[in-house]
Amino acid sequence: MVVTTETRSAPRQRAVARTHRSRRTFPLGPWAAVVGFGLFAFAPVYWLLITSITPDSLVYRYPVTFFPESVTFDNYRSVFTDPEIFGWLANSVIVSVITAVLSVVTSMYMGYSISKFRYRGRRTLLYFVLSSQMLPSALLLVTLYGIFATFGLLNTYFVLIISFTTFTLPLCVWMLKGFFDNLPDDIIEASKIDGASNWRTLHAIVLPLAAPGLVASGLFAFMRGWNDFIFALTLTGPERQTLPPALVNRYIGEAATDWPELMAASVLVALPVAVAFVALQRHLVGGITAGAVKG
Amino acid sequence: MNRTTSTNHNRRGVTDLSRRNLLSLGGALGLGGLGLAACSDSGSGTANAPSGEAGQGFTFTSFALSEDPPKEWLEQTVSDYASGEGISISESSYAYNEALNQMVLQSRGGELSGVAHLDIAWLAPMVATGTLADLSEYTSDAGYTEAALGTGQFDGVQYGIPWTTAAIGLIGNAELLEQAGIDFVPSTVTEFEDVLREVKSLGSDVVPYAASTEVAQLKDFIVWMQTFGSAVVEDGRCTVGDEASIEAMTWYKKLYTDGLIAPDIERSAARNLFSQGRTAYYDDAPIGSAIVVTNSPDAEIRSKMIPLARPVRNAGDVPQALAWGHILVVTDGEESISGTEFARWLTSDLDTVLGYFDASSNPPTTSEGLESPEVQEDEFLTAFTDNITATATPSPFWEFTEYAQMETAVADSVQAVLLGNQTPEEGMRAAGEAVNGLIS
Repeated sequence: MVVTTETRSAPRQRAVARTHRSRRTFPLGPWAAVVGFGLFAFAPVYWLLITSITPDSLVYRYPVTFFPESVTFDNYRSVFTDPEIFGWLANSVIVSVITAVLSVVTSMYMGYSISKFRYRGRRTLLYFVLSSQMLPSALLLVTLYGIFATFGLLNTYFVLIISFTTFTLPLCVWMLKGFFDNLPDDIIEASKIDGASNWRTLHAIVLPLAAPGLVASGLFAFMRGWNDFIFALTLTGPERQTLPPALVNRYIGEAATDWPELMAASVLVALPVAVAFVALQRHLVGGITAGAVKG
Repeated sequence: MNRTTSTNHNRRGVTDLSRRNLLSLGGALGLGGLGLAACSDSGSGTANAPSGEAGQGFTFTSFALSEDPPKEWLEQTVSDYASGEGISISESSYAYNEALNQMVLQSRGGELSGVAHLDIAWLAPMVATGTLADLSEYTSDAGYTEAALGTGQFDGVQYGIPWTTAAIGLIGNAELLEQAGIDFVPSTVTEFEDVLREVKSLGSDVVPYAASTEVAQLKDFIVWMQTFGSAVVEDGRCTVGDEASIEAMTWYKKLYTDGLIAPDIERSAARNLFSQGRTAYYDDAPIGSAIVVTNSPDAEIRSKMIPLARPVRNAGDVPQALAWGHILVVTDGEESISGTEFARWLTSDLDTVLGYFDASSNPPTTSEGLESPEVQEDEFLTAFTDNITATATPSPFWEFTEYAQMETAVADSVQAVLLGNQTPEEGMRAAGEAVNGLIS
């Protein structure tokens, strides 16, 4: 009996010991930190969503409540029935997509050149490109405004695309250079031994392998163009304005701000980027970290 | 032959920063700096009368074109005027908070043309661009009040045509004050403080005076410094740090410490508190009071709002209030006569003026407009004009191009004192030094 009892109790004791061990090692602190940071990060999004469905009469209630007493979709209806918003949406799509394409195409050639070819001044070139990131964009804006005004380019799509690309290129070049650094030279040399030209090697062999990096840099450039406020506000008039400045002009006034409609419009503005991010996040993470470890 | 090499070889990586790289980088940044310097030279000069010929198209830049409620009325009015005159008027609009920076940048770039709508506080920075026309010959016989004309003048030149003129002053809640047993208007700061203590006794849910305590609107404190006798600016120098400003700061801090004013209050929060009947006093312009009415659950709130003269330090002093208003300026050029004629019509034609008043609640600037039955029947506005606008003056800082930085310097110091990081003496002296640094 005693033996049986001991035999039966042994697994229980091991289980209890395991439980104690797991309790001892359960990483409560890190989990709490993760949850805390998560809530902190999600709070603005939550507030955005809640405000967008709060009736006008309740949005200024003081003290504030974290759960709306009643819900309305009138704000979304107002946004959807505003024909001007679709014009600004079209401007945003045109500018952001072309910026992304232009940034990827330009930076892939530049990144490849710097990564795989040896020539004088390439380091200087790399840092020269980076230097544009070291000045506050508001300061560069003054200079760019003067240049574009001189050439009569203000109030065009072109002016926004060129400006955004100026800012996206440095990071895209550095990102893709890191990606190309990681591609073994053996592949390139094998291609050349097989008779392929540099052009064919790049387009048929290297770029397909670098697809995650291209997607990541393209998404970054797209988001830069999509979210920009100050350049789009300053360099364009009402006809070419993208969504961020247009929405501010539309909903924020001297004495009052139409917060519910502004928040509803902001949700709609954020959706395309969120969808693109979710769809491409695997490539994005892979692309960004591609140049991080050399081996 | 093969220029392709591995980046994995053991040699200095391409991302290492050499002295040559640093020099290259310095050169690039230097070129950028030169570019900025080239764009930042002052363009101020002597103003000319509008030139060009009448009957030309122009651009009308106005933040009111993107703001409800005047947006719809204004677009239609501009369109009707353009049709009637047989000209084209392009419309351009920026959000209020972005408008000044955008217009200054456009002006310096030679891109701002036609008529521009300004807050009266923005006149000095716009004059500094050197692009505005002198409109005095178009304003002398249009019936504007002298006070309104003054809001468009700088260094004796009439750069602006007044569109609306009022003030930012103290508004009380008659119902709440009655509940506190107050049946008189406090005329001195001592009486005012006593009244606030009576209101406080109504309960902790009530903020007796929703005065600005958030840095964004702490420029309101400048009026209290003037109330205590500080000139704020005298002979081109900032006097903040003098005895009167320290006394004002000490009083304001006492209100804060005693819970008579509350932390983290800016204009929007004050309006919300007032609209919900939770504060007895707050500071606002007539346009803001319309927001209170819109947001209030109390349908009768408008009738309970009493505009009152700001209490004075000593009986007999002149009550202080900050002037508030909008003006239209015209950039000199081919279209400036057309633009000036439009600006004068928009601000002085009686039907148009009353249409704008109806759409925006903003008071007109002509004697005829102010005396019209439509305006006179607005009891709130009439009381506001009599009690507040009558003695309002522009901010002493508005004569400087850097007025916004000066207001921020004062606001930072006031907040430091309220939070207990500085004594009133330290805070006010620091503010004065900071402002004088901006003047020199």
